[in-house]
Amino acid sequence: MSGAETALDRPLRDQAAVIAAGELDAGELLEATLDRIAERNPTLNAVVETFPQRSREMLASAPAGPLHGVPVVIKDEWPLPWRAQRFGAAEMLAATPPQPGESGPYRALRDAGAVIVGVGNMHELGSGSTGNVSYYGPARNPWDPERCPGGSSSGPAAAVAARMVAGAVGADGVGSIRYPAAYCGLTGLKPTFGRAAMAGHHMAEYSTMIVSGPLCVDAADARLLGSVLCDEELTRGEPRGLRIGVVRDLVSEDVEAPVRASCAKALGLICAATDSELVEIELPDLETSALAAVLIANSEGMAGLSPARLNRLDPELSPLGRGLLKFRMLLPAAASVKAAQVRALFRQRVAALFDEVDLIAWPTVPAVAPPLQAPLVELPSGTTTADQANVRGGALANLTGIPAISLPVGHSEGLPVGLQLQAAWGADALLLDVAEALEGANGRRKVDARPPLALDSGQPAEA
Amino acid sequence: MGDSNRGDDFIPAGLAALGIEADEIELAVMTAAQAMFWPPILELFDFDASAARPEPRPDLSRAPAR
Repeated sequence: MSGAETALDRPLRDQAAVIAAGELDAGELLEATLDRIAERNPTLNAVVETFPQRSREMLASAPAGPLHGVPVVIKDEWPLPWRAQRFGAAEMLAATPPQPGESGPYRALRDAGAVIVGVGNMHELGSGSTGNVSYYGPARNPWDPERCPGGSSSGPAAAVAARMVAGAVGADGVGSIRYPAAYCGLTGLKPTFGRAAMAGHHMAEYSTMIVSGPLCVDAADARLLGSVLCDEELTRGEPRGLRIGVVRDLVSEDVEAPVRASCAKALGLICAATDSELVEIELPDLETSALAAVLIANSEGMAGLSPARLNRLDPELSPLGRGLLKFRMLLPAAASVKAAQVRALFRQRVAALFDEVDLIAWPTVPAVAPPLQAPLVELPSGTTTADQANVRGGALANLTGIPAISLPVGHSEGLPVGLQLQAAWGADALLLDVAEALEGANGRRKVDARPPLALDSGQPAEA
Repeated sequence: MGDSNRGDDFIPAGLAALGIEADEIELAVMTAAQAMFWPPILELFDFDASAARPEPRPDLSRAPAR
């Protein structure tokens, strides 16, 4: 195996370090990355387009920077100078037609010296937590290709989990970085609203929900890529004596038993490693907050809709997508107004809670990745769709604007389990600090676990 | 009237009022969505959010003003 091939399996920061030290040629790493995508992507459909010549040109002009020469994938949610985004759909229904261009995430990556090596698949129109519906066909979970990779940042997550690249840029409007991070066993950060690069996104001017963020193997890489996207250092600290809030509610209790056990174990390790304590907190009406988030996200996605436009939808849009777009037009305006009131209430409730605790914790998703063909989950309360189950835990951070992170904390049925931590506005770095503390406490066994198709011979799938 | 009956009436009437066409599959999707979303939306109307201080143009990057 060549040095470049070996480097493919190393973290983002190590790739950057060996290139900076002159120990690895960035051109060789780029070509090895393209070869690996060609080798592994047919199974996963994580990367929907590569553009080797554009990538080589990007490398040739890459400035010295924290990601100099490092290959990354970007979600199909932003334009590139040579490619308009598709938003995972045959037709985007944006207020203005998408065009190639320099998006905020593109500029952030370029200025950091990174090399965009491909575009990641995504759930059609960003409207699902599973990734099983896309113009490009479903992305697949590297841990089991018959399972959902999570959505809507399905491709970026699957590409990193399969070690095609060490880092990818996703977007999170209602959990869309954290769900695939949980399903694929990655570290996924949803920054505080407005903190990370968003320019060029077709909803950047009016969305109050969506942020860009990193999907990486571990917290140190998420810190590196997150700092690039935020254009400021997410400074490392030493968390001690934290108060971690846990709720006794459906979001933490209507959960598969192994998921609940893995999250509880991880929280115990975090407490032991950081001399912290769990504090039971009250956060009632979470289901109402989730509905409010969905209503706001739906209404913000309607800028390009009109009856005439809906009567000439591209027939290649999925039947589900077509039906839901038309259904959005029937949602009562009064519900959106009430959702805004609920948002104000929850922002105030959450702000008051962060006077008492430093973090709020619950499982990112209540069940491991469901089958692609039928994304249903079996919870103690019964069978439900993965989307309905996942939004319970994913919506609060987008509704209120707070940062949140999903961490890999275990496996059940051979599939990853994710723990979500949420912090006060601007405390993004604390989430990464705690994630690193957990990695230290469990010997990095969870972040270093690789799916079968990304294993070297003799390496255990689940460390 | 059950939720599904509400959807049977409401969705075709709403689409007709807006002049939106829909095929059978799209109607089935909308009926399922209506069954899923309408009951909680009706509950939302009754939800008491009066404790919230008005925040007409929230800055989502910060905590709300105290």
